[in-house]
Amino acid sequence: MRRLVLLGVVLGLHDLDPSRCSGQAMRAFSVTRPVAAERFLHVTLDFGGGTVVLVPASAGELYGLQLRYDADRSAPVQQYDARTGILHLGVASVGSMGVRVTSRAQLEQTARFEFSPDVPLALFATLGASDATIDLGGMTLTELEIRSTATHATVDFSRPTRGTCKSATFTVGAAQVDVRHLAQAGCEALRVDGGVGGASLSFDGAWRRDLSLVVDLAMGRLTLQLPRGTGVRLTGQRFLAPFDSKGFVRTGDIWTTAGYERAPHKLTVELKASMVGIDVQWIEQR
Amino acid sequence: MRAGNRKAALLFVAALIPVGRLVAAPVRDGGGHVPERVRRLLLATLLHDNGPTPEVVQPADSQGHTVNPAHLDQPLQLERELRASLGKPLGATRLSVTGGSARIGHYSVGSDETIHGHVVVLEGSAEVHGRVEGNVVTLDGDITVFPGGSIIGDVLSIGGAVHKVGNGTISGTVQALEALVTPPAGPPASIMGQILRHGAGLAGLVLTLTVLGFGLVTFGRPNLEIVSDTVTHSFGRSFLAGLLGQVLVLPTFGMLVIGLALTIAGALLLPFAIAVYVLLVLVTTIGGLLAVAHAVGERITHRRMARGIVVSPNSYRYVVTGLGLVAAIWLGWVAFGWVPVAGTLMLMAAGLTTWTVATVGFGAALLSRGGIREHFAGRLIAPEMMTDEYLWATPQFGVPAVQRPPKQPE
Repeated sequence: MRRLVLLGVVLGLHDLDPSRCSGQAMRAFSVTRPVAAERFLHVTLDFGGGTVVLVPASAGELYGLQLRYDADRSAPVQQYDARTGILHLGVASVGSMGVRVTSRAQLEQTARFEFSPDVPLALFATLGASDATIDLGGMTLTELEIRSTATHATVDFSRPTRGTCKSATFTVGAAQVDVRHLAQAGCEALRVDGGVGGASLSFDGAWRRDLSLVVDLAMGRLTLQLPRGTGVRLTGQRFLAPFDSKGFVRTGDIWTTAGYERAPHKLTVELKASMVGIDVQWIEQR
Repeated sequence: MRAGNRKAALLFVAALIPVGRLVAAPVRDGGGHVPERVRRLLLATLLHDNGPTPEVVQPADSQGHTVNPAHLDQPLQLERELRASLGKPLGATRLSVTGGSARIGHYSVGSDETIHGHVVVLEGSAEVHGRVEGNVVTLDGDITVFPGGSIIGDVLSIGGAVHKVGNGTISGTVQALEALVTPPAGPPASIMGQILRHGAGLAGLVLTLTVLGFGLVTFGRPNLEIVSDTVTHSFGRSFLAGLLGQVLVLPTFGMLVIGLALTIAGALLLPFAIAVYVLLVLVTTIGGLLAVAHAVGERITHRRMARGIVVSPNSYRYVVTGLGLVAAIWLGWVAFGWVPVAGTLMLMAAGLTTWTVATVGFGAALLSRGGIREHFAGRLIAPEMMTDEYLWATPQFGVPAVQRPPKQPE
């Protein structure tokens, strides 16, 4: 009798193995296009859930994507118009759910995007529940917008960008965005819009120009890492947003660093923050 | 080595090359992925798998299948259309290609050839040694551009890979879509497996609640007993209070957050307040549930004692007995949850019962302020009961009973 019970338990436990019940279909898709005579690339990038890597493409390649996606709920998107230089790349949900993540399988998706560093690039990326690592170092950026809803995104300008970048916008939902070497982005206007999340902006690296930053955060934490000697002018509205003013001199509602006018690089910060912890860290310029 | 042995050895080598390499279909320069190509070559040689006989696909009639490979930005849709066009046998396939032609089986463009228009290859690979001025699509086959070969257009390999060898060129977009291989779903869990899984879950939950209940009896018995008595004496009122409490949990939380956020001191306390609130709700719910179990267990124990069964009446027993009764409701679902319809109904019934129990417990905990207030526990004596006889005969706390006056001698 005991043996029968043991056998039953063993058979039952055998059935508990969750790997035996998986039936999801992951599928690979890849696309590349060589550089021809393109003068401009306007990219709209959508990725719902999973792991995203974005890096500069190798020489001679205009763009590339290596994707592994949940074939039951998603479909790859690759639409390029060579005449206008408009490219739509990424993953779309099958149906009308946008980039919503509806299954665990979608979080196992991976995507590696590559864009030519030589062709002027305007990049508009929407990332859902993703873990994103984006390296825009050395690219010829003209405009950048990254919207992340429930993401941990690391954006790195590992090398100074080329060209004239009009603006860089980081929209944070319930996400954490870490931007490194932001000074090397060379974008004239920087903007961080946020709901409930955190943003860490590090302005280390080689400054290409004076910068202006607008931060509009509802709830969360903002960390500014600034090289010593940078001239910073901070204005704006704060509500329940404690700010460590060490290193700043207050004149009315304006906070400036000592020697602001003589500083080799200047950063103007306009702050609209409520219930946001603001942390200013002074770092040594490397 | 004999021929048979050599064949077996080659098959073994082919099997050793990772299959995963076959399905990943990246675009490769220089002849593609070596293991993949070697494996394909070996398998094709050994198994004589040269695919279907190469032939031109005849155009379909006006009602038949037509594809337009001029734009390859919808590879999934194109795949569906191509697969739908495949005939049985393959020789019966009819397909019209807008601006091009279709073929079945392996197809090769010679070095002195130039093809004008799109090329669609079904169930075979395309090898380009010459020049194709149009898009190239293969279904279940590779596309290989050899040295000196060129494709002036886009390429799409569905269920295959794209290779460029040497200075072979492709001027347009190169896409490779892996063949869709749905891993076979495991067999559905057996009935025994389901019962064991559900039973293990139930046992774990009951065990956890029992441990919590013992902790509550040990460290907070007075409060537990007051909540339990509130359940017994004010069942309906507790249910209504619990229902109202559930409705108001979220609005109260919202008001708390907003109220605290409006003041500087409150904003600092906000994280703690949120944590405390969540904890309070959890404790009230679980404590209430345990109090209902206590009340039920107490009632059952008393009835057994009234029947002359000797048991030890203590709170530990009450909690275990009550939780056992709640678990018994779920046991039906554990045992017969696999039965279609009836299993779902049993699940709903058990869920509804548990929700009712939890609501009553939650309400009783609210009414008794967590077991501090005895108003609804039936422990206070109504004023109309405070008769002279009652007060005379019953010692009251803090009031020494008055001695009956001695009888006066007659």
